[in-house]
Amino acid sequence: MKNKRTSRIKYDKSERSLKIVAVVFSLIFAGLMLYPLIFTVSSAMKDNVKIYEVPPKLLPGRGNSVSLVLDYSDIPYNNEDELKDIILRDNVINMFGINESIKDDFIMEVKVFGVKDGETIFYSRAHQMKLQMEQSYGVYKSTSIKPEVLLHEDRYIRANNSIGYEFDINGISKKVKNNLGDEYFEQGASALQSKFPSTGSLLSMGNEKKSLLNLENFKYYLKMPQNIYPNNERISQLGFMTFVINSIIVIGFAVITQVFLCSICAFVISKQLSERAGKAVLLFFLIAMMVPFASIMLPQLIMYKKMGAYNNYAALLLPFLYPFGFYVYLYKGFFDQIPRSYFEAAELDGAGSIYLYSKICMPLSKPIISLIALQTFLGNWNDFFWAWMVTEDQRLWTLNVALYNISNNSGTRQNAIMGLAVVTITPVILLSILFSNQLKQSVISSGVKG
Amino acid sequence: MKTKNNKMSVFKKKATPWLILLLPMAFTVWLKYYPIASAFYISLFKYDPINPPGRFVGLANYIGMFKMKHYWEAWGNTFVFLFLQIALCFFIPLIQALLLNELIRFKKSLTTLYILPALIPTSVNVIIWKWIWHPDYGVANQIVKFFGGSPQVWLSDPKLVKFCIIFPGIIGGGLTVLLYLSAIQGVSQDMMESAAIDGCTGFSKIWHIILPNISFMIFIQLIMTVITTMQLLDAPYMYTGGGPSGASTTQGIFIYNAFNKDMNYGRGSAASVVLLFIIVILTMVQMWFERSEEG
Repeated sequence: MKNKRTSRIKYDKSERSLKIVAVVFSLIFAGLMLYPLIFTVSSAMKDNVKIYEVPPKLLPGRGNSVSLVLDYSDIPYNNEDELKDIILRDNVINMFGINESIKDDFIMEVKVFGVKDGETIFYSRAHQMKLQMEQSYGVYKSTSIKPEVLLHEDRYIRANNSIGYEFDINGISKKVKNNLGDEYFEQGASALQSKFPSTGSLLSMGNEKKSLLNLENFKYYLKMPQNIYPNNERISQLGFMTFVINSIIVIGFAVITQVFLCSICAFVISKQLSERAGKAVLLFFLIAMMVPFASIMLPQLIMYKKMGAYNNYAALLLPFLYPFGFYVYLYKGFFDQIPRSYFEAAELDGAGSIYLYSKICMPLSKPIISLIALQTFLGNWNDFFWAWMVTEDQRLWTLNVALYNISNNSGTRQNAIMGLAVVTITPVILLSILFSNQLKQSVISSGVKG
Repeated sequence: MKTKNNKMSVFKKKATPWLILLLPMAFTVWLKYYPIASAFYISLFKYDPINPPGRFVGLANYIGMFKMKHYWEAWGNTFVFLFLQIALCFFIPLIQALLLNELIRFKKSLTTLYILPALIPTSVNVIIWKWIWHPDYGVANQIVKFFGGSPQVWLSDPKLVKFCIIFPGIIGGGLTVLLYLSAIQGVSQDMMESAAIDGCTGFSKIWHIILPNISFMIFIQLIMTVITTMQLLDAPYMYTGGGPSGASTTQGIFIYNAFNKDMNYGRGSAASVVLLFIIVILTMVQMWFERSEEG
């Protein structure tokens, strides 16, 4: 409608230049807004070497997959177990050897095939992040990568169990792909021979590019908290999901309490009290909201600690257990518009307050409920300091606290923390695009940013 | 008998609303008003956490705090943050909304895109921008080098740290854009049309028609910005923890450090009370203006 009206007016010169400026600058701003996001997603899909590339590239590039084929036809052995042991040793040496010696070439996947008389008898596959995890937090934590360290005691067995492998002396169905390149054969073979010698002889070393490998990074990022905090029972079970669940609990609780508490208070203020008393009560709730968090965090912490609400869910949830004045105000504005006659008719029939509230008021207030829920979400999604102050135990961390702590952990690599950041914001962004109309409506009608 | 029943029911009718309100009000007193009151109370004591409240010292905490150089530095930092916020970031959403309003196509999808920055929590923003500011691998130094400047250490430089913390806001966006946009669209269409007939189009239309009509909204947003920037706590804490050498310590971080590092609950509370007063005065100014506009 509005567009039609403006287009009827003929654009003169100054109007046209304004339109051009508007288009150009809006697109520049859109680019500026998207750049950090794209940069984050791309960094999350880089590997541990690429992330330190200078100057940083906007696109991550595609990961390489390398397939090594080792021949065991001429290796003497007494029984099956002995051969398996030899291959397992070779497997660890080759995988970590490749990861160490040609790390500048964006090798994101190493596959090792063991063949004997033309038959594949061993197959193992590891993503670069898996190997990195073993080096940062797992079997090879804080060791240097050398053959004697890799094979020390039962380390190689544990590493193999963690990586996973298939072995059958009678042959397994896995086969090396035929059409692989061999760009890294020379470089890799000589590096392996000199620094990481294996028993089986290296037949071939094929490579291909696979974009899926970049995405697979995320699988390991999600497991990272398990490795950083191995002593925490809940985190070792759920990994990063622990923090997602905590955030859902806290925000879900906030939304539910605010939607109910504020609507009850607003209902009473709007429909059951005189105008003056209603105003006074509303002011009572509004003044409580004016207090800046920085001013009361200290006495609040002292009080909560005294009550025992520290380092548990009570400490995280209690701050939402009173009606937020602003939401009461929004609700009241809505309830004021419901005609009194609705209530008077029911009251004549002897209906009590609870009936009036639950059977008349609530069914009418669906739009305002979604507005309050969205506002509560937007207002508390960013909460950090209180949750950070009252939680020592990692299993209580919300997403914001967890991201802050993990990013300050010295062992955390930048691509990993960027990956976790992406995991955190993606669902919210998708939801907000889905509900963008309600979101816009909610912000505009409430008139205040969350 | 009948009248007594009537009285009872009248009493019941009067009392039920208050009975329903009793619990929410009690919780508000308990969770919000009591902590405020106890901030006043604690600020008068040399607080001892083991046998509270410790020794009564009157206003000594306030006087001691006002004599601290560090306290005034924290206020100084807060005002520098405020200045940077207003100079760098405050007008961006307004400009974005003005330009969005002029778009004919893609207005809706771009508006959705402009909400994005509001949905990205500070923790994520800090992760991204810490990497951008990284002295060795970050984009910031690459850009500086490209233009022939010498690389900086950004967040570790006491002179640049405040700029680095505020600068990410320059991408604008967020919910403020929506508010401005709805205010702009609320400007009467008749006025626009008659202005267009008089030859007031393009940039002069923005300057002479739109801006004066939404000046109230801009003013409210300005006060909101002042209030939120005064309370700045999360962002500087997550970027630098208040450093380097206290260069990004705001009032919030000063309060936090007073009891976390110095274990001085009395001083922390005194600083809380002063901050509270200033914020309350600003909020009252805002409410007064909002009311005067409505009335």
